[in-house]
Amino acid sequence: MSVAQAAGPLAAPAPGAWWRGRTGAAILVAVAIVLAFFGWKNQLPWPGSLTWNSLSHDLDNFQAWLSNNRNVPHPSIVFRLFNWIASFLDNLVGWLTSFFFKLTWAGTTALGTLVVLRFGGRRAAAIVLTAFVSFAAMGVWDASMRTFALTFASVALSLLIGIPLGIWAGRSDRFQRVVTPVLDAMQIIPAFAYLMPIVILFSVGPGAAVATTLIYAIPPSIRITALGIRSVPTNTVEAAEALGATRLQTLLKVQLPLARRMLLLSVNQTILFALSMVVIAGLIGGQGLGAVVTSGLYSDPAQALVAGFAIVIMAIALDRATEAMANRTDPTHRHLTEGKRRRLHLFTASCVAAVGFAVGLGYALSAGSSWTRFTLQDWLLRQVQSVLNYVQNPGTVVFHVTSPIGNFLVQYGLSPLQSFFVETPWPAMTFGLAIIAYLISGPRPAVITFAMLALIGGITNEWTNAMETLSQVLVATVFTLLVGIPLGVWAAESLRARQAMRPVLDVLQTLPQLVYIIPFIYLMPVSIVPGILASVLYAAPVVIRLVEAGIREVSPHPVEAAGAFGATRLQLLLKVKIPMARDAIMLGVNQGIIMVLAVVVIAGLVGSGALGYDVAQGLQQSLFGQGVLASLAILALGIALDRVTQGRGRKRVEGVT
Amino acid sequence: MKVRAGGLAVTAIAVAAVVSVGSASAKQAAACGTVTLNQQAWAGSEANTYVAKNVLQSIGCTVKITTIAEVPVYQAMADGKSDAVLEDWGHVPQQQQYVAKQKTVVDEGPNGVTGVIGWYIPTYLMQQHPEFKTWKGLKGKETLFKSPESGSQGMFLGGDPSYQQKDKTLIKALKLNFKFVSVGAEPAQVARWTQLYKQHKPVLFYWYDPQYLNAQYKLSQVQLPPRFKGCQDDETKGGNPAKYACAYPSYTLEKFFSAKFAKSGSPAVAVLKRWSWTNADQNVVAGMIAGQHMDPDKAAQKWIAANKATVNKWLGK
Repeated sequence: MSVAQAAGPLAAPAPGAWWRGRTGAAILVAVAIVLAFFGWKNQLPWPGSLTWNSLSHDLDNFQAWLSNNRNVPHPSIVFRLFNWIASFLDNLVGWLTSFFFKLTWAGTTALGTLVVLRFGGRRAAAIVLTAFVSFAAMGVWDASMRTFALTFASVALSLLIGIPLGIWAGRSDRFQRVVTPVLDAMQIIPAFAYLMPIVILFSVGPGAAVATTLIYAIPPSIRITALGIRSVPTNTVEAAEALGATRLQTLLKVQLPLARRMLLLSVNQTILFALSMVVIAGLIGGQGLGAVVTSGLYSDPAQALVAGFAIVIMAIALDRATEAMANRTDPTHRHLTEGKRRRLHLFTASCVAAVGFAVGLGYALSAGSSWTRFTLQDWLLRQVQSVLNYVQNPGTVVFHVTSPIGNFLVQYGLSPLQSFFVETPWPAMTFGLAIIAYLISGPRPAVITFAMLALIGGITNEWTNAMETLSQVLVATVFTLLVGIPLGVWAAESLRARQAMRPVLDVLQTLPQLVYIIPFIYLMPVSIVPGILASVLYAAPVVIRLVEAGIREVSPHPVEAAGAFGATRLQLLLKVKIPMARDAIMLGVNQGIIMVLAVVVIAGLVGSGALGYDVAQGLQQSLFGQGVLASLAILALGIALDRVTQGRGRKRVEGVT
Repeated sequence: MKVRAGGLAVTAIAVAAVVSVGSASAKQAAACGTVTLNQQAWAGSEANTYVAKNVLQSIGCTVKITTIAEVPVYQAMADGKSDAVLEDWGHVPQQQQYVAKQKTVVDEGPNGVTGVIGWYIPTYLMQQHPEFKTWKGLKGKETLFKSPESGSQGMFLGGDPSYQQKDKTLIKALKLNFKFVSVGAEPAQVARWTQLYKQHKPVLFYWYDPQYLNAQYKLSQVQLPPRFKGCQDDETKGGNPAKYACAYPSYTLEKFFSAKFAKSGSPAVAVLKRWSWTNADQNVVAGMIAGQHMDPDKAAQKWIAANKATVNKWLGK
């Protein structure tokens, strides 16, 4: 069933009629769970007899087996295959990196800027030029080029794999159904869990870094491509088929051209997702900015922050450049006359010449690979350090405001909620949540919710940690929605607000959390809160964007009609636009939860403990089994929450994140 | 077109120049070649790596530095992608697997630095409460360490998830009324206790030496029960908490080489085998790098210039 069809039946029944009765029942169940908490507090933790204890150990043994069989003089063909892939990827990234270095600073900058100028226009070219100049000025030119090469290779491969699969998923319901849970898993399971097997199979270095990035960056390219193919109006496709077009012709001549904007969005999102893996890649020899961040974090936080901002600048430049190129090359906007064409050719030729000149200039000036003699690095590091010093000082005014807020949140919000989830008897929690899922979403989601909770307790052996994480995820989600929905509505209503928010949202989505969350630890020196903050800051942009898109895409007719009846702007918003954008807002809730879960591990590294801590410890202390099981618990929690909140009658709408 | 051709000509000359420079340095370094050292997250490791790098460069080696995490680096050494780790804090499962079983990584013995792990409090607190010298003095006074997240108990601030620790079990075994609070990675933990330190408030936390911050903050160790025979340290093995009721062992930090590198016959192998220094040496260099934000190469050179004798011993002179 396509997305368009799935959304159809929703509007048919009078909304709210069944909802009220079931909501009431769901609240009753929730009250019953709370009563069970007070009645049998701490008396029924998940029973050890219902737990499969040896699994973690078996997983450890599997990893040891993998390593022992890989590291022999003549490993089997399977391992050699991975070796070949790894060296292919290593060479690809290595070749790209040395290409940028050979071009020199001046040449690379000229090449990047002029390509964007030729295909994207002046504005985007200016942004790209600024980005290149700032890499050099920040003193991270070499690291930036390595990261750029890594990202370029990862994105190209992600699209090479993702777009064909996305087309398939867009045309086949069965494939879509099979692939969706796999994509969910790829996005929710933290990279920390599979980093070690990746290293055993691919060794360390850029190859392993690309492999890790692919796991995270392929899902958005598949999802968005599929969505694009599916959003081509059915009557257009049918018309093409009626005219005798083959399936291939329909795809190439109708579906792909009409899905063009979505395809370009998938390129764009794949880039952002790939960049968000840069830091993880730094842990396994990915080099570049990620390595600067990870090694700076312990000994030189200012340097880590500077490298983090370089990642953001790269993300913004790539985002604006691809967007501009997408708009410029839109065939519907291009009417080339003979004269215009000739001028374009001339322009292209002069760009090529300019790049050649810049390369020559680069060599003439520095006779080396990079040109970073004039940097602001020292000055910049001093400035960042002074900000950090201010933040670290517990005598400042800011601290006296932020610190009590943090303490209040923990004492009266997080701690009680956490003990509620952890100490409620497990049967009340599992059956209660399953019944709530049944009331809100129906029988199938209820069964899945129950199965997932049973999996957390019985197989992953992480019940207590999962409940602790659940309480934090709920709080973070509530805050995310409290922030995200109003801002999304505001952005939809006001162009200026939208323009002002966009760079902020870009920064929040791409700046490595570990980098900016450390200052928050100084300001709110109480564990859990910085983790929650990190989740909210990462998840809110997605919610804002989805809500904004949902409201802006409300069909103009009902809005105009209501306007004609004299509705005020506020009435229009509350009575027409928001109810009609309900689907998009629900998708925002749903994706908000998934994004919050994606930060669980990072949150574990800044004091949230629970599942995130276990995953991180799993990688770093070679407790592979523990890391995998804790990650599975995160995934199970994600699926359960998704099913509880998905609502009745709404088929899962594929997310555009 | 003319401009472009000119550019190409310049390029060609420049490439030729680079190639000739490259071959000249290659001739000089022929005996040693490239050595890849792995630097780990903590500042002490950075100090080791940069001092070794500068020493190796002085005998004509080309040194590359990788920054791979502690556990994956064993696979990197097995593949010969990293040649040496100069400071390992006892990764027993990896050593069994890569050193004993596969023989892809070689244990090259101590690096001279002794690692100490324990429970630490600020010295000002020790002066106010001399009874905190041993863990027994903490008994009954736990609530002094209360924090928003520890409820009615005192807070014990846990260490980085990647570090060896057994404090949860230790607290249970010693029947202390502490809540183990993990604040995550080391930078987060440092943020927490340095702030309490600056406010002169009580704080009890997992900490270790050598650590450059120990020069900046005055800290004192709380003595834990002495080690006894059969006393356990690996908390993840579980079992009776009483088996864990002893202080942490002192760690003899060791060097590990890739087997390929160890057999390569490069002069760098002999130098790195002899390479060894003290906690104090490491703290000096780490303090310059992390405390004063000095360029790591410059910090290493400064130390080398001041410690000619030690360096000559490494070089076999």
